[in-house]
Amino acid sequence: MADSDNLRAKVKEDVIRIMSETLEISPEQITSDLEFNSDLPFDSLQLYEFVIDVEETYNIRLPDELLDKVKTVDDMIDVVLELSKKN
Amino acid sequence: MPSEEEQMSEALVRIFENVVLTEEKSLQAGYFNDLSIAEMHTLTAIGPYDARTMTNTAEDLGITTGTLTVAIDRLVKKGYVHRERDKRDKRIVRISLTHNGKLACRMNNKFHRVLAQHILAGYDENDRKHLLDLVNEVDEYVAQQLRRYDSTENVRATARQVAKDTSKEKN
Repeated sequence: MADSDNLRAKVKEDVIRIMSETLEISPEQITSDLEFNSDLPFDSLQLYEFVIDVEETYNIRLPDELLDKVKTVDDMIDVVLELSKKN
Repeated sequence: MPSEEEQMSEALVRIFENVVLTEEKSLQAGYFNDLSIAEMHTLTAIGPYDARTMTNTAEDLGITTGTLTVAIDRLVKKGYVHRERDKRDKRIVRISLTHNGKLACRMNNKFHRVLAQHILAGYDENDRKHLLDLVNEVDEYVAQQLRRYDSTENVRATARQVAKDTSKEKN
């Protein structure tokens, strides 16, 4: 497996783990095609808890303007991957 | 029918008061009801990311470091702010937000963002641009008036100038 695939797999694992801990659901219930607005039961407080945990895990910034563009779990993984590469 | 000046003046004051009041009520009804508006604004001034010095934060809030110290003492006790001395220069105190502080700060930013989104949603693209241009002009004018009072020695001179300008306008 290429390094970039490994990195993506690691980010996916972290994002889904943090999400499952915040929402108190099993990680198996979270697939990368799920949408934040319609499929994932986040209230706004939980959403920011999740976002802050991801920011602290990867030492990145996810401002609201950027989050507006994130529609699915996959989008979130892409954004985290891109920002963490810049660090 | 009130004059244009009266309508403008009353609307400005009402908007300011109602935004603050709505913010206060949403705080009381929400997850962070142990925070006052002033405390929430202190968290916003610190911001959710880098640690800041007490001096810079006090400057941004327009208060003395003494006043900020009292506010930070309370916010540290409540678990919203982390405070530490600079490792190299012990005179410098750095403050940053805890996880809960970041959460409160971001929820408050969201409140302001949603309020703005709802106001803008009632207009088409052209009107939104026009409205923003006008609001920015008003904002800039009021900020300019505030700057005239920035230093204490300017206050008397500015007050005299304002009185002079006003009497000229009346005549």
